Amino acid sequence: MTLLELINFYLIPGVVLGSIYALGAVGITLVFGILRFAHLAHGDLATFGAFAALALVAVGGVNVWVALPLAMAICGAAAIGIDKYFYDYLKERPKILTVMASLGIALMLRAIVQVVWGVDTETYTRGIVRPETYWGIRIRDRELYTVIAMLGIVAVLWFFLKNTKWGKAMRAMSDNPDLALLSGVDNRKVTMLTWMIVGMLCAAAGFFLGLNTELKALMGWTMLLPMFAAAILGGVGRVEGAVIGGLIIGIVEEMSVLFIPTEYKAALAFAILLIILLVRPTGLLKGKVL
Amino acid sequence: MLQKATSHVLAMQEVRGGYGDADILHGVSIEVAEKEIVVIVGPNGAGKSTAMKAIFGLLKVRGGSIMVDGTDIAGWTPNRIVQHGVCYVPQVNNVFREMTVHENLEMGAFLNKGDFTEACDRVYALFPDLRERRRALAGNLSGGQRQMVAMGRALMLSPKLLLLDEPTAGLSPKYMEQIFEITRGVRDSGVSILLVEQHAKQALAFADRGYVLAAGQNRHEGRAADLLADQEVAEMFLGG
Amino acid sequence: MELIGLANYAVYMAIFIGIYAILALGLNIQWGFTGLFNAGIAGFFAVGAYVSAILTSADVANRIGGFDLPIVVGWIGAMVAAGLIAWPIGKICLRFRSDYLAIATIGIAEIIRLVVKSEGWMTGGARGVNNVPRPFGDLEYFQSQLAYMLMVFLILGIVYFLVERQIHAPWGRMMRAIRDNEAAAAAMGKNIERRRLEAFIFGAAIMGLGGALFAHFNRSITPEAVDPMVATFLIWIMLILGGSGNNRGAILGVAVVWIIWSMSEMITDQLPQEYAIKAKYMRVFIIGLMLQLVLRFRPEGILPEPQYTDETNKEKVQRGSPASDAPTT
Repeated sequence: MTLLELINFYLIPGVVLGSIYALGAVGITLVFGILRFAHLAHGDLATFGAFAALALVAVGGVNVWVALPLAMAICGAAAIGIDKYFYDYLKERPKILTVMASLGIALMLRAIVQVVWGVDTETYTRGIVRPETYWGIRIRDRELYTVIAMLGIVAVLWFFLKNTKWGKAMRAMSDNPDLALLSGVDNRKVTMLTWMIVGMLCAAAGFFLGLNTELKALMGWTMLLPMFAAAILGGVGRVEGAVIGGLIIGIVEEMSVLFIPTEYKAALAFAILLIILLVRPTGLLKGKVL
Repeated sequence: MLQKATSHVLAMQEVRGGYGDADILHGVSIEVAEKEIVVIVGPNGAGKSTAMKAIFGLLKVRGGSIMVDGTDIAGWTPNRIVQHGVCYVPQVNNVFREMTVHENLEMGAFLNKGDFTEACDRVYALFPDLRERRRALAGNLSGGQRQMVAMGRALMLSPKLLLLDEPTAGLSPKYMEQIFEITRGVRDSGVSILLVEQHAKQALAFADRGYVLAAGQNRHEGRAADLLADQEVAEMFLGG
Repeated sequence: MELIGLANYAVYMAIFIGIYAILALGLNIQWGFTGLFNAGIAGFFAVGAYVSAILTSADVANRIGGFDLPIVVGWIGAMVAAGLIAWPIGKICLRFRSDYLAIATIGIAEIIRLVVKSEGWMTGGARGVNNVPRPFGDLEYFQSQLAYMLMVFLILGIVYFLVERQIHAPWGRMMRAIRDNEAAAAAMGKNIERRRLEAFIFGAAIMGLGGALFAHFNRSITPEAVDPMVATFLIWIMLILGGSGNNRGAILGVAVVWIIWSMSEMITDQLPQEYAIKAKYMRVFIIGLMLQLVLRFRPEGILPEPQYTDETNKEKVQRGSPASDAPTT
């Protein structure tokens, strides 16, 4: 195999898949870091976002790139609603109960998708897209957009967290919640803001997975493990870590078919997760351990 | 506004309370006058830190009153107490480790709507070391510098009263002196200070007045120098 | 429905309730008494089902097997295999908060599902393992069902007895202390990791046994029977609704949920095809919603955890006080 083949058939798909995981993993790391629990409905929230975009494209007739921000807004609002009606009242109780509630939400979101949109696989656009070739490197437009959009979304988030008052409040809450409360940070506002951002990230992850593959009710659930592995690999609470972790998991998964049977591609994220918990639970960038 | 009974910044009277259903404080009375440094000492489990948390609204107060500047703040939320001019520096985890020194100070002024460059300048003037390290992560600072960040954060809203919970815990004697020095500087800038100290002798040598708590009650009180000379107090802290 | 049909159905339901009750007791050890979040029950169930099926069934082409071992050996094999899989997962994850265990158990259930589907030489692939011997299988249909039901109940009784005995032993007291008071637990240090691991493995082994009973009852086990999410989730809602930490509550929860679940299936099956599929998903939605409602309005379940006499007062104080009275990290 030539280097070019390696890039075209393994590295590029890996980076694309990794970008999708990264979008999801950033959301997971925010929930883990700020709200301090493992959000098991994350994958199914992504599914919901992807199908919300589909409804806008198929029924509303809007362009896919208009559908993306709209779906992000819908999913952000949905996440705030889920928190308000299902998670918020558990906040005084052990966090593990919220984890359990989120598993229930995962099931409910999936059931909604299955009832409303059925169980057939769907796509945003029809027809086969041939990759363009640049100096021997074959890449499809949508793949390029996926990576660029991921970088753009993460850059905006990064700027928000570093330079705005409420972005800093989110970081403070993640860093030292007691002191943040003593400083007068409103926990409720930070929680809602976090869910809005997390919902938007979920929709983006689901959208790009749907754009590059296809939409189905289980699409998000199968992403859950790689997304968690990416967040923990990067270091819980670390946005940049989640991006790096996502890219690593994506690339490793795509490359793995060179060494192990394709069926076990999905097992890789799990293996990486266990290894990182065993040797360096704080992750690559020294995150939190709950 | 009610007429002020005293010139005391803080006057807590016969405060009782605790975390759960059981009381830890069984009647504690502490007063702090303007520009005064007052220290609370006492054996482990005497309720020193608990008394401080009671002032800051972190536990249930079931009796007594806590007057700050003539207003009873018993039962208020910490947020409201901060806005009333009382700031609190916890003993541990008192900085945002993954944020820069400057961002820590900004978080101290979170409730303040306006510009806080002036407040930052005031804090940096008090702690020149911090100005140099303003871009460093608080978690990477030395113990003494971290305590400065913690105090600086609390001073951002120009409180009348600063509560310090064992500021020298875990610091070497050299740093302990430094912290006391800084605390004096803060007092000289016009802030009253109430602190809890484990190192009773050193703290009494440095404070203006002191209270000795035992089993959740006042045991002794008076000028720090007098307490230091008191035979009974000295016996309580033999080796301490 | 004729009377005999009704009786048949009742026995059939009772067998399922018995098997689910065994699974719920396994989860009760992990969650109810120890606070360990296992989101991969279906995985341990599947391991038990397949191991027992493979060990006891006759030789078939294209698949390992033909061990033809006694059924009891199959059951023991099922428990050992499920416990062995739980061991490394627990070893790695129990040092951390239960969130990590939740993720890892979702992972292991996925991996087990992949193995079941892909490793045809072992599991028979999509066709599964068939011709699994069934105890009392030679009897006439109704007698056979009845005998199987009694056997399941007997096993359930033994499991119940074992779990209850453990819970009242010093071991159980320690487990509750660990669960209710992290600080006190931390003071016990290394020891609690071991105890947690024991509880996790013990629970997993019981789940494996439940899987084995299922496989022998159905005379076969296929990948469809181990749908990871719904199976796992049903057992969770059974335990939470019934009353986690209470073994009788767990069994009651199983009965209530299983009856609602199968009755609603009978109703939705009457609907026209198009709606029947949607209704199937609505049932899943309602199960999810039910969990939320129980967590919100009756977190202790129908039968709350009993106050164990030896430590009534202490426990009341610890569990009664809200989590964030004083700010702690």
